[in-house]
Amino acid sequence: MENSAEDYRIQSFDLDTQRLLKTALKDPSLVNLEKVSNIIVDQSLKDTVFSKEAGRICYTIVQAEAKQNNGNVFRRHLLNRLQQEFKEREEMRARSLQEWVCYVTFICNIFDYLKVNNMPMVALVHPVYDCLMRLAKPDALMNEDEVDCLVVQLHRIGEQLEKADSQRMNDLFFLLRDGFLLQESLTSMARLLLLEILEFRAGGWMLSSTAHKYYYSEIAD
Amino acid sequence: MLSVTHNFGPSRWSHCRKRGVNGSLRSNSEADDIDKRRNGHADSSYKHPDRRHASFTTPESTGPVSRCGQQADWGSQVEDDEMRRDVHRDMQRYRRRILGAEFTQRERRASSGSSGSCDSREGDNMETDEAVLLRRQKQINYGKNTLAYDRYIKEVPKHMRQPGVHPKTPNKFRKYSRRSWDQQIKLWKVKLHAWDPPAEEGQDKTLDVVEELNLDDVMDIELDFPTITDSQNSQSSLPIHSLSVEDEDCGTPVKVQRTAEPNMS
Repeated sequence: MENSAEDYRIQSFDLDTQRLLKTALKDPSLVNLEKVSNIIVDQSLKDTVFSKEAGRICYTIVQAEAKQNNGNVFRRHLLNRLQQEFKEREEMRARSLQEWVCYVTFICNIFDYLKVNNMPMVALVHPVYDCLMRLAKPDALMNEDEVDCLVVQLHRIGEQLEKADSQRMNDLFFLLRDGFLLQESLTSMARLLLLEILEFRAGGWMLSSTAHKYYYSEIAD
Repeated sequence: MLSVTHNFGPSRWSHCRKRGVNGSLRSNSEADDIDKRRNGHADSSYKHPDRRHASFTTPESTGPVSRCGQQADWGSQVEDDEMRRDVHRDMQRYRRRILGAEFTQRERRASSGSSGSCDSREGDNMETDEAVLLRRQKQINYGKNTLAYDRYIKEVPKHMRQPGVHPKTPNKFRKYSRRSWDQQIKLWKVKLHAWDPPAEEGQDKTLDVVEELNLDDVMDIELDFPTITDSQNSQSSLPIHSLSVEDEDCGTPVKVQRTAEPNMS
């Protein structure tokens, strides 16, 4: 487990916390899981890098706890904390765009990793959609960070979300089309991102090779 | 018997409970308590001024239940979802097991030439109502979430279990009336108490309860899938049965007698 620090991107934590997290991963019964879940959520809201991959460490702790004693204390605290933040997301967004973007990234990451019997958690489907719909609103589309967040999440979990609730995906994409077509205040980068995601979904959650060339040919392989 | 605890302090059975009211393992409950008070969490473990916990475990639930009754929190929703899926998966497995066993039974009966008086079509008479199964599963989980159960399964491996002597988990897929099922659960849990961890006064109390109920006389509930030999010897083998007569059972020809209902507080 020597490279666990990199695997879970916990280098940003202080050494004591890193030790705590490593213990949680190996032997959950030895730690205060509520405290661990708060540490992880707090950091995810501050650290954009961590928020993108925190789902993995959460998944591992959930599995470890379930295996050790059939418990789900960690998962319960994690989800309820996520729910608390969700209830106050509008205030969060007003307070700090970066925190809001981190939150959306994190909750989508959790949706991606924490499955129940290999199915996504039903309880998170609507909240995730609510977050993405918020990102698709005109005021959010003006911020490249929010647009970027939106399209990245759709790339990662769009297909799963659509399977869980296709009607809401349709609703989301109505907003995106409208935004792309009608909103004058969009930057060209924002438009590019929106166009790409529109094509991506239209292609069954993948890009044709020509489209891929159009959007990504400048990127070194 | 199993009381709702209002704080982290010990109730009569709390030393047997594996988990505290908030679901966390009880290994260090006192330390946790102090920790919480020190940190003053304004989160789901918030306690009211009179030290009542904001949510608490009831016998029917697997974990903390909102006092408003509505399980709107994501933690509970996901748990319920998971339980529902587990129950459905269990159902499929059970069906397959039963079909396999029934097939073997029919073959044996045909070859031995006997016409068994119990044409038990267990597969047809299975409990499939999701709400019922979920409720039963929660009750089972509650019984399994005890130190006694942990100690029991460690001490007595499955192949060493003797019917009547060792507690056996009631089969949630069989058709029973509500009363009958609740009774089985009660008896099962009482039997499990024999494996409670020793405590200062707890130990003696447990023995008292056992003697009071005269559990030696109460045979285990007929839970096994009836084999041919069972149904043929039914007249002699099982003395006392606590299934109520009006049970829609599979017609298992077992002597059914009403026991004097033990008074459980």
